Amino acid sequence: MAKLNWKIWLLIFFVLGSLLAVFPLNFTKGVQIASIEDDSISFEAGLRQGQIITKINDQTIENFEDYKNAINSIFPEENQNEIPLIELRINTDQENFIFETDEKLIMGLIEIFPEENKPEDENGLKNEDLTPIAIKINSLNQNSISYENGLRENQTIISINGQEITTLEDYNRIMNNLFPNENKTKLTVTTNAGEFIIFTNKIPKITVKDIPRTRIKTGLDLSGGARALITAEDKELSRSELNDLISITSQRLNVYGLKDVQIRPVTDLAGKNFMLVEIAGSTPRELEDLIAKQGKFEAKIGNQTVFEGGEKDVTYVARTGEQSGIYSCNPLQEGGQGCNFRFAISLSEAAAKKHASITCELGVNPENPQYLSEKLDLYLDEKLVDSLFIGKDLKCSETTQIQISGAGTGDTREQAYDNAQKEMKQLQTVLISGSLPFKLKIEKLDTISPLLGKEFLNTIIIAGLAAILAVGIMVFLRYRKFKLSLAVILTSLAEVLIILGISALFNRNLDLPAIAGIIAAIGTGVDSQIIILDESQMTSLSLRERIKRALYIILGTYVTTLFALLPLLWAGAGLLKGFAITTIIGISTGVFITRPAFSEIVRKILKE
Amino acid sequence: MEEHHTEHYTEHHEHREEHRETIPLKQKFEKGYNKNYKLLLLIPAIILILSLIQLGYSYSQNGDFIEKDITLTGGTSITILIQDSEISINQLSNFLSNNIGDFSIRELSDFRSGQQKAVIVETVLGPNEIRPFVEEYLGYELTTENSSIESTGSSLGESFYNQLRIAILISFILMAIIVFFIFRTFVPSAAVVISAFADIIMTLAFVNVLGIKVSSAGITAILMLIGYSVDSDIMLTTRLLKRHGETNKNLFGAFKTGITMTLTSIVALTVALVITQSFSEVLQQIFTILLIGLGFDIMNTWITNVSILKWHLDVKNKGNN
Repeated sequence: MAKLNWKIWLLIFFVLGSLLAVFPLNFTKGVQIASIEDDSISFEAGLRQGQIITKINDQTIENFEDYKNAINSIFPEENQNEIPLIELRINTDQENFIFETDEKLIMGLIEIFPEENKPEDENGLKNEDLTPIAIKINSLNQNSISYENGLRENQTIISINGQEITTLEDYNRIMNNLFPNENKTKLTVTTNAGEFIIFTNKIPKITVKDIPRTRIKTGLDLSGGARALITAEDKELSRSELNDLISITSQRLNVYGLKDVQIRPVTDLAGKNFMLVEIAGSTPRELEDLIAKQGKFEAKIGNQTVFEGGEKDVTYVARTGEQSGIYSCNPLQEGGQGCNFRFAISLSEAAAKKHASITCELGVNPENPQYLSEKLDLYLDEKLVDSLFIGKDLKCSETTQIQISGAGTGDTREQAYDNAQKEMKQLQTVLISGSLPFKLKIEKLDTISPLLGKEFLNTIIIAGLAAILAVGIMVFLRYRKFKLSLAVILTSLAEVLIILGISALFNRNLDLPAIAGIIAAIGTGVDSQIIILDESQMTSLSLRERIKRALYIILGTYVTTLFALLPLLWAGAGLLKGFAITTIIGISTGVFITRPAFSEIVRKILKE
Repeated sequence: MEEHHTEHYTEHHEHREEHRETIPLKQKFEKGYNKNYKLLLLIPAIILILSLIQLGYSYSQNGDFIEKDITLTGGTSITILIQDSEISINQLSNFLSNNIGDFSIRELSDFRSGQQKAVIVETVLGPNEIRPFVEEYLGYELTTENSSIESTGSSLGESFYNQLRIAILISFILMAIIVFFIFRTFVPSAAVVISAFADIIMTLAFVNVLGIKVSSAGITAILMLIGYSVDSDIMLTTRLLKRHGETNKNLFGAFKTGITMTLTSIVALTVALVITQSFSEVLQQIFTILLIGLGFDIMNTWITNVSILKWHLDVKNKGNN
């Protein structure tokens, strides 16, 4: 066999590299964890996003179906509602909490030692017989039950259900007594990262998916999702305003419970700044309100503001448990149904002082002497949400606990309930995240159904292969050499593969413009191959000379096309960037990798 | 060794044919061509002038050279996926025209079975103005499970359009600079640039005549066209300028290569267009515009560019003699 030229080796190297980048070398059969709640028992046990589950107890898991069957057989549906709620009374150095939960609390705790007996003395020697005097919350997930019920970092836990706690051992003993593992199902989950044991009587809070066959990521216009391009109304956003906007928006979407969200700043050709929000998968209808509402929450008595949304005034917002929820639904006089919700919030000291000083000036309501003369009015974006009576005993009091309430209406009871829930969620979201300093404008909002995308991808693959085959036929008709035709087809396929490989390597999403870019690159690629074929058949010059000339022409067209594409990287807020990038990757691959190899192959074929 | 033989055989074969009949015909053709190639320039010149008139007319009518779709003017496009029963476009259209003014409706259907796959409603209105009416007609809520909604604000659409226009302009100028840099002689470089310019102008005019509303993706197709157009022009010019020998012989060789390039692209694009048209408006428009452009490129490369270049070479050769 003839020795292969280095140019061909280079092509082989890139093709193999791209194959590896696109198709992961992973022969494990199982399901991959797509998402996992941070405060779940499963997370605490060590399960993480991206791990591959291969076995649960003794059942082998090879695909999503297996996982569903295994979970259903371990947790039969009839037992679902029988999870006992346990009341917890937690006393801390700051506040006391009472709430119910069905699982043990998960938080990072550390033991505190008496000052004179530090765990290490000055010489770095460990003092072995130290006894801690208390345990303190070191870390706490914002979505956890504990957090939602008001527990915070740096609080020292004094007792739980009347039992004093000074050590971690105490804490674990009490928790295990309250939530005994005996009543629970033992789950042994085998993953590629090891074996994890979970005691639970609920279906693990994880979502799984079949292991993806390729590492190619498709863009929103193919896989479905929502995309919004946002600027400020009536003003230009500065870079720092944009960063503030992004941090508030990510907090809101996070509080709202949306996962798989990407928020990033974009600047267009005219130097205008935008925030680009991309959410994969199905999107809630209220997305528009969530990202574009200014979310200015104000609680006023008369025209004096008592507190506003955001962490400065509002230190805690209850979102689950008994302190938050819909408590009544009634038919309305004017027709339809209405549901009322309420939830508790905690105010900062400053806000509480303000409340005291404002209420001190109020008299008693003449018609309703239990209450004060003015009401607490809640405004969202300058619209009155609700007016609350203020009990007369709250006069002059520095109250930190406030009940927020409101209502949702609808034609049917279900609609009213859903609307009340939405309103509540939005109100809670703005109370936590605070308001944006300016009005926003949605410049572009696309919500794309994932349904069209699935078939679409297959169609594109068929179209691509058919187009390359058509090229092969054309080349055969012209040159009447099967080998040359095959060389053109293989080179084009190699180019597609390398573009996909590089995209996968750099985690680039393939959207429609990107696919158009691949087509453009392959098109110019084929053109150049034809130039090489023709130049190499001119008999008046030496073969080497002829191919050199061909490469001269190709380099010329390469540079022109490359420069022609550059403006697209910025124009139109970068939404067509995918096109420019794939085309540039494609034509560069063509000039530096595939075409030199193709010339060698042609030379070999013609020499024979 | 075997293939070597075949090659010889083919060449021989061609020679024989030429001797028998093509040569006199070819010589006749060549003589006629040498005499009249400058006249041929009239064809693209007339088409270019007609195209410019068309564009000027659209400008006077609509205030712009092309008809823009909602991605460039601002507006909303709702794609309703067909789930169980087909949607009657006429009924939906009647219903909507009672409620809103300016809108258009199209359907996408499967390219094999002809079955309706989706109905697309486009309007310059915002999503919240059109959505309730469509929902009222359908009798169900539009969600991401049954529809896609894309909306662009009018100021964003306008700024997209301006930026894409600037992008095309910058691309074109960069292309021209590089072409001049490669060939370093004025007339041949100008010929390449003029051909590319003619390609774009004729394509835009033809797109207008067909009544296609251009989207932002359509504008990227114009950008692609610059690349495709320059490809064959650079090949041609290099062959004629940097190669010794008779102009016509070089020209014929370049023609064979160039026409193969363009025809191959046309065939591949047609195949891709037929397969994808039922799925994606975006790709459909890109492919259509490219096909139109490549069609004009055949004329502009092999008449416009060639004639100018040959003229230039003839003048130069006469000067040398």
